[in-house]
Amino acid sequence: MRRLAGFNTVVALLPISVLAQTTVEGRVGLPKSHSAPVVAKRYEIVTRAGVLSTQPPLAVVYLAGPFPKVRLPSTNQIAQKNLAFVPSLLPVQVGTKVEFPNLDDTYHSIFSYSPAKRFDLGRYRPEERPIPSEVFTTPGLVTLRCDIHEHMRGLILVVDTPYFVVTDADGRFRLSRLPAGHYTLKAWIDSKTTRERPVELKSGETLHIDFP
Amino acid sequence: MISASRPNKRKVTSFRTKLLAAIMLVVSAITVSGFYLAQRNVTAAAKRDLQQNFQAELSSLDKVQKFRHAAIAERCSALASRPRIHAALEDNALDLLYPSAKDELRDLMEGEESLPEEEAPSLHAKFYRFLDAGGAVLSPPNPKDVGELNPHAEAQLGLKQLAETQQIGYTQENVDGKDEIVDEIVAVPIFSTETGNVISALVVGFTPFELTGKGAGAGMDSGIWVNGRLHLPSLPKSMQLSVGNEIANAVTKSDRAGNNLTVTVNGAPQLLFYKRLNPNSLFPPAYEICVYPLVDSMTQLHRLRWQIGGVGALLLLGGFVASQFIATRLSVPVEKLALDSAENRAQRQRAEVALESKSEELKRTARYSADASHQLKSPVTVLRAGLETLLRREDFKPEVYDELSALLHQTHRLTGVIDDLLLLSRLDAGHLQIDSQPVNLSQVVDEWLDDLSALPDSVDVKIEKESPADLYVSGEKQYASLIVQNLLENARKYNRSGGRLRVAGRRKDNQVVLTIGNTGRPIPSSAQEHIFERFHHSSTASGHGLGLNLARELTRLHGGDLRLVRSENDWTEFEVRFRVATPPQNTRAEVA
Repeated sequence: MRRLAGFNTVVALLPISVLAQTTVEGRVGLPKSHSAPVVAKRYEIVTRAGVLSTQPPLAVVYLAGPFPKVRLPSTNQIAQKNLAFVPSLLPVQVGTKVEFPNLDDTYHSIFSYSPAKRFDLGRYRPEERPIPSEVFTTPGLVTLRCDIHEHMRGLILVVDTPYFVVTDADGRFRLSRLPAGHYTLKAWIDSKTTRERPVELKSGETLHIDFP
Repeated sequence: MISASRPNKRKVTSFRTKLLAAIMLVVSAITVSGFYLAQRNVTAAAKRDLQQNFQAELSSLDKVQKFRHAAIAERCSALASRPRIHAALEDNALDLLYPSAKDELRDLMEGEESLPEEEAPSLHAKFYRFLDAGGAVLSPPNPKDVGELNPHAEAQLGLKQLAETQQIGYTQENVDGKDEIVDEIVAVPIFSTETGNVISALVVGFTPFELTGKGAGAGMDSGIWVNGRLHLPSLPKSMQLSVGNEIANAVTKSDRAGNNLTVTVNGAPQLLFYKRLNPNSLFPPAYEICVYPLVDSMTQLHRLRWQIGGVGALLLLGGFVASQFIATRLSVPVEKLALDSAENRAQRQRAEVALESKSEELKRTARYSADASHQLKSPVTVLRAGLETLLRREDFKPEVYDELSALLHQTHRLTGVIDDLLLLSRLDAGHLQIDSQPVNLSQVVDEWLDDLSALPDSVDVKIEKESPADLYVSGEKQYASLIVQNLLENARKYNRSGGRLRVAGRRKDNQVVLTIGNTGRPIPSSAQEHIFERFHHSSTASGHGLGLNLARELTRLHGGDLRLVRSENDWTEFEVRFRVATPPQNTRAEVA
């Protein structure tokens, strides 16, 4: 997980490496985890009272603003491993292509009926090549399902910004290399809850924002 | 006698008729009640049998139905939980609902075409629809894929609200068309995986399980009653309407889930069963309807009833004969009684007549006696008076006086004879009545002994008396006295000079025995047996031959007797017996 989080950070950092070292860091108040902590933490999508979130809770923090479209589309991956989506929550910028490699020894049939993205990859085995993929062009939350394994859920948060990060388990986040200016900092906590704060970023500064 | 028996005969006949009627009434009542009970029993048994048959049939069908419903429910639930259907409902992609379901429910829908109908026992759906969260039907974009329904039928699939359990209902297609079809619909709830609430329902329509041909034998028609309409195609249209009305009545009147009743449809009785097919369902109530024509069983029952009736009539006839017999037998003694009573009455009448004539005779006799007494005594009295007048004259010679005296004495005798004769004649006629009272015999004897001694011509006789005082006998004093007088006078009259006269009285058992003995010439033995005969006249005795006869008759009339004890060796002794009597209370003596 840590590796993947790092990977995300790398992806996020790539297009803004040329910008000034403006950073926002802070902490998102995450809902209390209901399940007892286990050693090998697996982040799953859970539905509680119609609200989709990860378990243990994670948040996505992103900077919303009139940023230019992506020039070169990037590629990301959500694997199906042990009958679960890995990672279970993936923020992507609009226009990102996401691959869905099957790492299990069985068929999966990934589809989504979400308004943000409807697609149906059909049944495929692990050796399916090319790896089935979809390009996500509409901002919003996409619920991933498997037609064969009805309990499987995955979330893709499509955001119209290149600046986004997934918090750690404690809710801490750090966004670097941000452009200066007036923006809105948003924290997606679950499918029904997104908190936001207006921020004024000054070049070279490190802003500390906490979401209660 | 004959005239008396006429009305009696009539009465006896009427009695016999009444008896017969009463017995017949009882016999009829018993027969009729027996008949009634028997036929009621038979009817009840027949009805019970029919119902039991039907209930058994119905319960087995019920099991099949339940099993089928469970199978359908399981299948539908499995289908309803398909991820695509959930995704369409939960991810706000209703436009994808039917297209997704088309693939998922394909096998449910298919079979109907691929399998012959009897081998696919209606587990394949005819159509399906989804309901939205409010229970309204979600219209399919392409009805061909989900089984076509007309709008009216489709509207019936909706629910006022979604339920968390499976609901069973029945709908009609082509209500106004020619081939009306009833479908069985099963609504399976779909729960959101996100909220756990019911967000939709899958309504699947099936061909209803047919009862027809599998029911309680031939003749039974079964169908479904829903929405106030009867769907029973095997029944003629005319009957359907009235049966439908009957069911509507029965269903609205009682909230029971099932019942049976007998109705008359087009003049023919039918046994009607109904049973709620979808108890506790949100869909309109539907009832399983079975109509069983009772004509056959009624005919059978009718025959049975006639048989029972015939037996009853026979019994009644037998009862009639038996009661006739019994009535006759019973009335015989009554008849005899009536006859006897008639005879009795006749006898009584005769007796009354006889009594009347007797009393008449008695009166006549009494009159005669009085007359005779008068007629006889008057001349004697005249004679005596004449003689007494003559005796009082003093100018006759002394021998004339003697003669007159003798004549006067004779008139006295004559009077006595006349009295005796009159008494005897009354005795003979049986008219003499003894007015029995206690009579003090000792006193009577004493009085007569006093008289005897006072008589002027008394011979020299020694009188001995040996008797307790106050010997009471039962009789009339006048006659008892006469008896004693007779005997004492005889004892004196036939005594010898210087002789004895002995009177002894004693009580023996319940009799008083009075013996009167006297000395003197005994009665010759040849005459002894005749002395009590009337007008017996011995050569030796001077009496007129009435005294002893009269005494004995009177004694016997008193319940006693008079006999000669002995007459020999200068001693003649009579014995007279009276019945003893209790002394009157006031004069009771110290006899005891």
